[in-house]
Amino acid sequence: MSDAPFKNPGWAGNTGEFDLTEEQVRGDDFVGDRPKHGGHASGAGTLPYMLAEKNPEAKLFEGEYQERFEKILTRYPTKRAALLPTLSLAQELRGYVSPESMDRVAELLDLSPAYVRGVSTFYTMYNKRPVGRYLVQVCTNISCNLCGADEVLEAFLSYTDTELGETSEDGNFTTIEAECLAACGFPTCVQINSRYFENVTPAEVPKIIEHLKTKGGD
Amino acid sequence: MADDLVTLTIDGHEVSVPKGTTLLEAAKTIGEQVPHYCYHPGLSSPAMCRLCLVEVEGAPKPMPSCVTTVMEGQVVRTMSEEAKGHREGVLEFYLLNHPLDCPICDMSGECDLQDYVHLEGRKQGRGVEPKRVFGRDDFGGDVLFYGDRCVMCTRCVRFMSEVEQDERLTVVERGNRSVIDTFFTEGLEGTNWHGNIVDICPVGALVSKDFLYKARAWDLDHTPSVCASCSQGCNVMLHTRDNLVHRVKPRENLEVNGWWMCDHGRMDYEWINDGNRLEAPLISEDGVSRRAVGWKDALGELLGRAEELEAASVRAVASARASNEDLGALAELVGALGGGETVFRSPRAQEELVLKGFPKLARRKDLAPNVKGAELLGMRRVGDDAGAGGLDSVAEHGSIVIVLGDVLADQGEDFGAGADLYVYLGTHDSPAAKHADIVLPVTSHAEQEGTFTNHEGRVQRFWPALQPPGMARPAWLILGALDAELTGEGAPETAAELFGKLSDAVPAFGGLTYPDLGTQGASAKVGAGAGS
Amino acid sequence: MAYPYVSDKEVSVVSKGFGDPLQRRIDTYVERGGYGALKKALGMGPDDVTEIVKDSGLRGRGGAGFPTGVKWSFMPKDNAKPHYLLCNADESEPGTFKDRELMRWNPHQVIEGCLIGAYAIRAKHVYIYCRGEFFEANQILARAVEDAYAKGYCGKDILGSGHDIDVTVHQGAGAYICGEETGLMNSLEGQRGQPRVKPPFPAAVGAFGMPSTINNVETLCAVPHIVEHGGAWYRQWGTEKSPGTKLFCVSGHVNRPGNYELPLGFPLSELIEDVCGGIRDGNALKAVIPGGSSVPIINAEEVARCSLDYEGCVEVGTMLGCASVIVMDDTTNIVKQVRRMADFYAHESCGQCTPCREGSAWTAQILRRIENGSGTEADLDTLMEMTQQMVGTTICVLSDSVAAPVQSSINKFRDEYMALIHAESSAEPAGVA
Repeated sequence: MSDAPFKNPGWAGNTGEFDLTEEQVRGDDFVGDRPKHGGHASGAGTLPYMLAEKNPEAKLFEGEYQERFEKILTRYPTKRAALLPTLSLAQELRGYVSPESMDRVAELLDLSPAYVRGVSTFYTMYNKRPVGRYLVQVCTNISCNLCGADEVLEAFLSYTDTELGETSEDGNFTTIEAECLAACGFPTCVQINSRYFENVTPAEVPKIIEHLKTKGGD
Repeated sequence: MADDLVTLTIDGHEVSVPKGTTLLEAAKTIGEQVPHYCYHPGLSSPAMCRLCLVEVEGAPKPMPSCVTTVMEGQVVRTMSEEAKGHREGVLEFYLLNHPLDCPICDMSGECDLQDYVHLEGRKQGRGVEPKRVFGRDDFGGDVLFYGDRCVMCTRCVRFMSEVEQDERLTVVERGNRSVIDTFFTEGLEGTNWHGNIVDICPVGALVSKDFLYKARAWDLDHTPSVCASCSQGCNVMLHTRDNLVHRVKPRENLEVNGWWMCDHGRMDYEWINDGNRLEAPLISEDGVSRRAVGWKDALGELLGRAEELEAASVRAVASARASNEDLGALAELVGALGGGETVFRSPRAQEELVLKGFPKLARRKDLAPNVKGAELLGMRRVGDDAGAGGLDSVAEHGSIVIVLGDVLADQGEDFGAGADLYVYLGTHDSPAAKHADIVLPVTSHAEQEGTFTNHEGRVQRFWPALQPPGMARPAWLILGALDAELTGEGAPETAAELFGKLSDAVPAFGGLTYPDLGTQGASAKVGAGAGS
Repeated sequence: MAYPYVSDKEVSVVSKGFGDPLQRRIDTYVERGGYGALKKALGMGPDDVTEIVKDSGLRGRGGAGFPTGVKWSFMPKDNAKPHYLLCNADESEPGTFKDRELMRWNPHQVIEGCLIGAYAIRAKHVYIYCRGEFFEANQILARAVEDAYAKGYCGKDILGSGHDIDVTVHQGAGAYICGEETGLMNSLEGQRGQPRVKPPFPAAVGAFGMPSTINNVETLCAVPHIVEHGGAWYRQWGTEKSPGTKLFCVSGHVNRPGNYELPLGFPLSELIEDVCGGIRDGNALKAVIPGGSSVPIINAEEVARCSLDYEGCVEVGTMLGCASVIVMDDTTNIVKQVRRMADFYAHESCGQCTPCREGSAWTAQILRRIENGSGTEADLDTLMEMTQQMVGTTICVLSDSVAAPVQSSINKFRDEYMALIHAESSAEPAGVA
């Protein structure tokens, strides 16, 4: 391991032989703020983030979100192909894909509600029920597991005082096990909402939790 | 011709089949049934049950016979050690989480899982892990879902999306958590063909609420028949036990209904089991009281009273629920009694319910099986769309009135009051039959042999599935005997014989015989017009 | 150089921009020669581009190793149907983390590769199916595509050539099986990501029922370099049958895990001992999975003989896969790790084929029981025989992937299984089977 000074918990920048800021590694400085209406249509379907602030009652597909939905439609030869990005859009606002969201999406895309349910339950990223402000997904697959992922998972559960899949009392954290997040060189990898926290050790877990509680962030 | 045929070897037998035939269908031609779940000839083939894998010489892997098409010179083995070992392995996977609740499963005795395991399964399963439990779910309509018995063949999902084209079912979740489900609380209610998913479910996962716990499959007798609920003429099988129809299942006929039938027809059988039947001929001397008599007396009385009438004229009411043979015999008798008009009434639905994925099949507007047959026999349709009215001239007719099969629900007690001779042939008594001079008990189509002519003129046979109640006899037998007495010709002894006569007399049926009709029926020459 | 560590053994072709934040910017990319290959390609006929790629011997980097140029040549050349190029960026094979790096450090290289590929197969639309969890990579790609549109590298009449090629970044939603090419197509079409029965093959009936070609991110990233410098240039590295360079994702118990771009045919032991700085804490090597979790595990003796190319791996009874080298030292509980992989496959099985749906979960159940000390020797026989029923009997190869680690680990590390089976805590007495 590098002797580089500690910079930021759960960020791989303090590993290895490069001297970079977090923004440089994550590419935040390059991407900048992407507008809610989705920017250029070519990438409008990628915008949905997993946001800390969710409103299960939010109106779907209004204003800028409607604009984004329409952009997505232009990119595929069939309406059905817009299903995944559209479900993501619904989840971005409401935090999970509720039966009502499925129904609405089905209506928008001329699909049957049952079909939409079948598709949305196939994919793990669609939450079937509300989750905490922060969805903590700890990779425990082989590469991370070899480097102590089980202990990292344990640490998240004990510091947030929850069981697997359960949301903490303050509504902040839901911790689940994740399959390989494709950051095997930076074990243990933890995805919290849309961000990867890498090289996470059990000792760093309380710092990450504190960081999220105080500084927030998506 | 030869260019379109492909010759290959299956299990040592040389077979020639049309290009594009699947190995599974090709094997059928030599009597080999390759076990399968997901494949169904009426649906797309996802090749996912992996049970129909067969050994193909030269192929690196076993091939799914349901989607692999034949190739010239191919050597296929469906019964080799490799193929059998493979099926044994897949069947073990199927049983891992199967509840093995055969003793209380409705499908037991006709279950493909039971049969295949019995035939080729391991002697002992190796699964010792706790079984997955999904439990039971009410899918709405007539369908109950037992998730633990499901083999995930998805035939039901594909039927709803491809054939009924109302995608109410889906596979939820993935991997071994996959399960068939509806959209939460929205079920199959309001769909018109969902009974078919119970038929095509190869195991006991989808069962009929109507049939639940009513009978064991092996106790049921199966009799080929034709659905009497509309003029489509769906080929069906009547499943009976203890002289009762317990359920109706569609019978394959690609020209008429494929493998399917509508829910209305499927559930429309309780009337057959109705015990409140006419069981003996009744004679009334004073128009008020009736006494039961034997057939000899009844027919003697009828002929005697008819003889007394001079220059008789007949008005007859027939039914589109009666067979071609019944109607033909009635027409003959009307002629022999002096001639006259025969009318019939039949209810008509507002619209057709077409099965979108098999548009040949629809629940037709005419809600009786033999409207076309009655028309081809020269009978005139009267009355409204409810099957009522239109009988004023008959009701007041003075000479001979004959009613066959129409219960005259809309007619009052004075129907036929002015007739010299009023003969009522029916399965059930009715107020309008009260003043009949002679009431003759006849059998329903489920109790006799005969044919119906469907909406497009296809003549299809049905067979007796039940014992008739009491002294009830087929109408054609009764009417034929009367006609024979009047004309001096021999009475028909079988429905086949009578149909043969009809076929000679009526151009539309010209040339058709029972052997021609077989189990799948044949087309009458529609447009040839009425005869005799 | 390969983020986050650098080795002087590396040959930087596709990994050149790693660790350089400026590389993402279109101006820098162009300044450094980017999009030059696209210009060159547009000046040639599509089939000439395919020929160059064929000459280079480039093989698919997603795991199967099928020659890329040959794959492209399967596409129909004269039909009116729309063609699609699909870039498989649904990286999720355990142990693999190269595509994410390629996308986040050098997105324009991906886009340029896609555009050249699309031109070669006469596609007018490229879908980059990017793994859903990769929010950062998705955003970087989306931004880069937007820049490429602004500068006229995508869209209508690209670079004044008269050719239209659209690029869409499509975000997945969490399913390993969507990395399988036909599963990806179903997913792109808005269906459950279940692999399709082949034939028909994608070049005939692919995405949206149209002729399609699907290539891995790394494969497409190599394309601009090959087009620019020629097939012979690419063949200066690697072996006759496995030419070129490859990103090796090294994870597990090494001192310097990371991505290293090396010529194919590189010795595995040198990769571990030299490039990656050896095993952590000075421990001894126990086992390596050289190609991602779907390939057979090899022991230390086999590691010493293994050269990292498609054929070299087959020689020691394993596969190169996507060159994801998972290194395990002598502290590793092999049974636990194999069980973890089995859990993964059980979780990710799409569930359509019975052997995979039931077998993957059953495998995990049995392994868990052995891990917890309640296994029997008969369980090992069951595992060997039952997983064999999962090989070659399903629509896709996920099922085969379950069998590989299980069978190879039982064959090579049977003593570890036996130790757990005969441990004191064993629920059933030893030898009961």
